[in-house]
Amino acid sequence: MLEGLVSQESLSLNSMDMSVLERLKWVQQQQQQLQQVVSQSINNSPELLQILQFHGSNNDEFLQSSFSQFQMLGSGFGPNYNMGFGPPLEALDECISRTSSCHMEPVDTMEVLLKTGEENRAIALKNKRKPEVKKREEEKTEKKIKVEAETESSMKGKSNMRNTEASSDTSKETSKGASEIQKLDYIHVRARRGQATDRHSLAERARREKISKKMKYLQDIVPGCNKVTGKAGMLDEIINYVQCLQRQVEFLSMKLAVLNPELELAVEDISVKQFQAYFTNVTASKQSIMVDVPLFPLDQQGSLDLSAINPNQPTSIEAPSASWETQSQSLYNTSSLGFHY
Amino acid sequence: MFYDEAMMNTYNMVKQRFIKKWINTLHMLDSSIEHPLNVTERKNAIRLSSDLAIAATRSGSTVWSRTLISRSGNKTTNLTTNKPMARRILKKARNRMKNRCSTLRRNGNFTAKVGVRKRTELLKSLVPGGELIDDKDYLIRETLDYIVYLRAQVDVMRTVAAVDLVTGNLTNDRTNK
Repeated sequence: MLEGLVSQESLSLNSMDMSVLERLKWVQQQQQQLQQVVSQSINNSPELLQILQFHGSNNDEFLQSSFSQFQMLGSGFGPNYNMGFGPPLEALDECISRTSSCHMEPVDTMEVLLKTGEENRAIALKNKRKPEVKKREEEKTEKKIKVEAETESSMKGKSNMRNTEASSDTSKETSKGASEIQKLDYIHVRARRGQATDRHSLAERARREKISKKMKYLQDIVPGCNKVTGKAGMLDEIINYVQCLQRQVEFLSMKLAVLNPELELAVEDISVKQFQAYFTNVTASKQSIMVDVPLFPLDQQGSLDLSAINPNQPTSIEAPSASWETQSQSLYNTSSLGFHY
Repeated sequence: MFYDEAMMNTYNMVKQRFIKKWINTLHMLDSSIEHPLNVTERKNAIRLSSDLAIAATRSGSTVWSRTLISRSGNKTTNLTTNKPMARRILKKARNRMKNRCSTLRRNGNFTAKVGVRKRTELLKSLVPGGELIDDKDYLIRETLDYIVYLRAQVDVMRTVAAVDLVTGNLTNDRTNK
């Protein structure tokens, strides 16, 4: 979730030669950091933003993490996906081969924590697991559920590393308390009854699950994707949306070409302060626009500052025209603008 | 799409950076291109500068941004040097790409039977640099990133166009009086 936290560590964790123990320590560090940071308030977004600013080391990481935050918060508590989480994931993918015979019970809790949309799946998985679970382990998982329920969003960041659980018949031999914690950082794939448990199919299944998770994120970004099921349909929607946006860019550039006989945008001489002051104004009310207008100086041609237009305007171009008319009237009225006829 | 003030703030910051870069690129293009330009050429210049600016705003580790920058670089050199040969070649390449896309689309409206494969090919052709990506995982990740920035580009361009519309009205009124 927090790209800044991950990026520095991920570089060092790329190689497969890292021992399990070192990876485990890293994971525990991350968990502790995340728990500290998130325990204050999960839903309070300005704080999360601060966290991102604190941890993000450069602009790109900040933006990447902020976009992953978009996805996280935008989806309400859907599965979290971090774009920059690549290297650890790939390293962890390869660990599947090591752990296919290992039992990982507490990973159950991750499934339980994921909300709307994943709840059913989580419950289904949990139900499947019950006949195989021994009582001791159930207790442990319940404890973990309580502990981790406090730090939902931080754990979501970890859920990428533990997509699904693994269990096989040989797992019963290896289930111990200490070893359970150690295997937290592996990707665990559930092998259901009657399915092959060899490495390749498990790896394949993990890969497929990863893809389906990404599909879910795309659902959040692309509007109207919820109703379609199946990869083909969703890809259709995505393709449609991308084509639509690209066509819009084409159309808008044509429009700008028509409106501007010279290759200039009517937004010259804008100071940085005005931009910031304007773009941070989230509330899109007419009154606020009216109030702000006299504060924006205009250049001699009387062209409006872009900052006078709310970026949050609805998609139709006719809709904001009312506010602009009022704006232009106010421009006519203020004497300091220097309109000369 | 966005439910949150903090997210909107960062999104606004992206748009801010984009428009600053866009103004710069447009200026650069304007000074190096010979006038007079007809509408189509102006449109291409605006489109080019806009794509370059949005890719520069993202300027990071994404395939699509790097592809856009290199593509725009090629186009600008061709535009500024004005070599008819180079332009013809570019045009042909672009048309070939377009034809391939349209035939893919025409051939049977993509029933589910056609499947994921053809659609991913189409997606690859849409996302700049998608053809270079083999891993489906990574392609989707790139698409995600690309969509967000594309959306920002569209938003900014729409507001600039709207401003121009209003400014156009003002100047018209002035000249009429």
